[in-house]
Amino acid sequence: MEQVIEVSNVSKSFRDKQALRSISFGVPKGSVTAILGPNGAGKTTLLSILLGLQEPSAGTAKVFGLPPQHQAVRARTGAMLQEVSVLDRLKAGEIIELVRGYYPHPVDTALLLEASGLAPGDLRRYAEKLSGGQKRSLGFALALAGNPDLLFFDEPTVGLDTVARRRFWERVRFLAGQGKTVLFTTHYLQEAEDYADRILLFSGGMLAADGSPAEIKSRIAKRSLSFRPAGDPRLLREQLLQLPAIQGVEEHEGRLVVRAENADEALRLIFAGGLGVRDILVEQGSLEEAFEQLTLNPGEGVRS
Amino acid sequence: MKLIIGQCKAELLRIFRNPYFIFWSLAMPILFYFLFTRVINTGAEDAGEWRAHYLMSMAAFSVMGSSIMTLGIRLVQERNQGWNTYIRITPLPAYAFFLGKMVGQTAVHVFSVICIFAAGYVNGVELSSGQWIFSGLWIVAGSLPFLALGTLIGMMKRVDTASGVSNVLYMGLAIAGGMWMPLEILPKTVQEIGHWLPSYNYGSGAWAIVRGDHPQGAVILILGGYLALFMILSVYLRHKQRAV
Repeated sequence: MEQVIEVSNVSKSFRDKQALRSISFGVPKGSVTAILGPNGAGKTTLLSILLGLQEPSAGTAKVFGLPPQHQAVRARTGAMLQEVSVLDRLKAGEIIELVRGYYPHPVDTALLLEASGLAPGDLRRYAEKLSGGQKRSLGFALALAGNPDLLFFDEPTVGLDTVARRRFWERVRFLAGQGKTVLFTTHYLQEAEDYADRILLFSGGMLAADGSPAEIKSRIAKRSLSFRPAGDPRLLREQLLQLPAIQGVEEHEGRLVVRAENADEALRLIFAGGLGVRDILVEQGSLEEAFEQLTLNPGEGVRS
Repeated sequence: MKLIIGQCKAELLRIFRNPYFIFWSLAMPILFYFLFTRVINTGAEDAGEWRAHYLMSMAAFSVMGSSIMTLGIRLVQERNQGWNTYIRITPLPAYAFFLGKMVGQTAVHVFSVICIFAAGYVNGVELSSGQWIFSGLWIVAGSLPFLALGTLIGMMKRVDTASGVSNVLYMGLAIAGGMWMPLEILPKTVQEIGHWLPSYNYGSGAWAIVRGDHPQGAVILILGGYLALFMILSVYLRHKQRAV
């Protein structure tokens, strides 16, 4: 598969802080990739490097096989940044025409309107007078103006209501269907899970996990196993700790809660050993909780 | 070329839609002009010469103002609005962005000069066509050091600071440079400083032309010196800002 983005061993340090530590990944053509992580994980820094706004301190980033600053890269790339950019005293339509003029093969204005959800009437309004949602739509239209093959969205849905959010993602899906490559940052796990083919999980400037939403989910959401002791709780505890599949046992309100990477395997061993347990509960840990765990302890992240 | 024209068109639209520009660069100078040549008796010996002299003062005052204020404040606004960052990720080359701005600004200056000269013509200023053209060209070309100063102001972080500083600079330069009233009637110390200010030298070139003279070499040298100084400062500051 043709790689649109290739990042190898990219690090970026600012005066007092290491924002990215030796990041490597590739993005194939036509995929939708989410860069997921809490604030300060290095998402925006990575995006700035891919957009050619910042130079990496070490390592290389290539887009379409070229350095991100290259004119040919810029002509094929569109982006919506966190800060919605408008020019004062220009009407939305005038800004769109101005930006269309920057690109060699701009998209037809009527198509842009349809794709961005701006109403024709909005074009005649001054950009600074538009509502927050309309400004986003304008930003979206500007990102698409040059008919780009690659699109970047930095926290695209912050400040949008649920309807606007859903519409935004429908449009992104439509673009991906046309073979465009999309890379977006978010700190909402749900969003990454629902709309991306692949999640790059960032934490503390490191790539903590890289995989499809289902893979990430199965990796980070562990199941927990608990039961009441049928006999002597102390004996049961000792027996449990001897089982290889079990990493730890805690007592909680009369129940023994077992920590296990693989709950199925742990259960099998418990039954095979004829251990005295009753009232068994297997619970799916919440994904959000696991996500928090993983991003709070970057060192323990799963590497692929 | 197409890029520069598009950029220029956008700049022009934005400037002409700005009420501050219309007020400070067109209405104010023209109002002042009529005030000091018609309403208030300045006791000038040769009324005709005074009318021509003061017309040059006001045209220079207007163009200097739009170079320092309109350009500088707009630059700060664009950066704060995230437009500069956005432009950097588009294929628009940096030179087209900069040239578009400067050409747009110059077109606005030509327009201002024509408006103010027209007011002077209505007021009975009599100059040869050569004098009209050369004084107009002088005022447009001589705005370069002020455009560089505007770019310097454009590096400030906050719009409030930029507009405060540019206002003080603008008014200070205008008064101490003899644009509001002839330098000869100002206090001696102000006169001595004034002779070295870019505003005085800017005005003095135009005043010389309408007197039937031509701008002195020293005047051109001083203006060129300021242009070089502001440009060097601007390059130096840009490097420093980037290093942080």
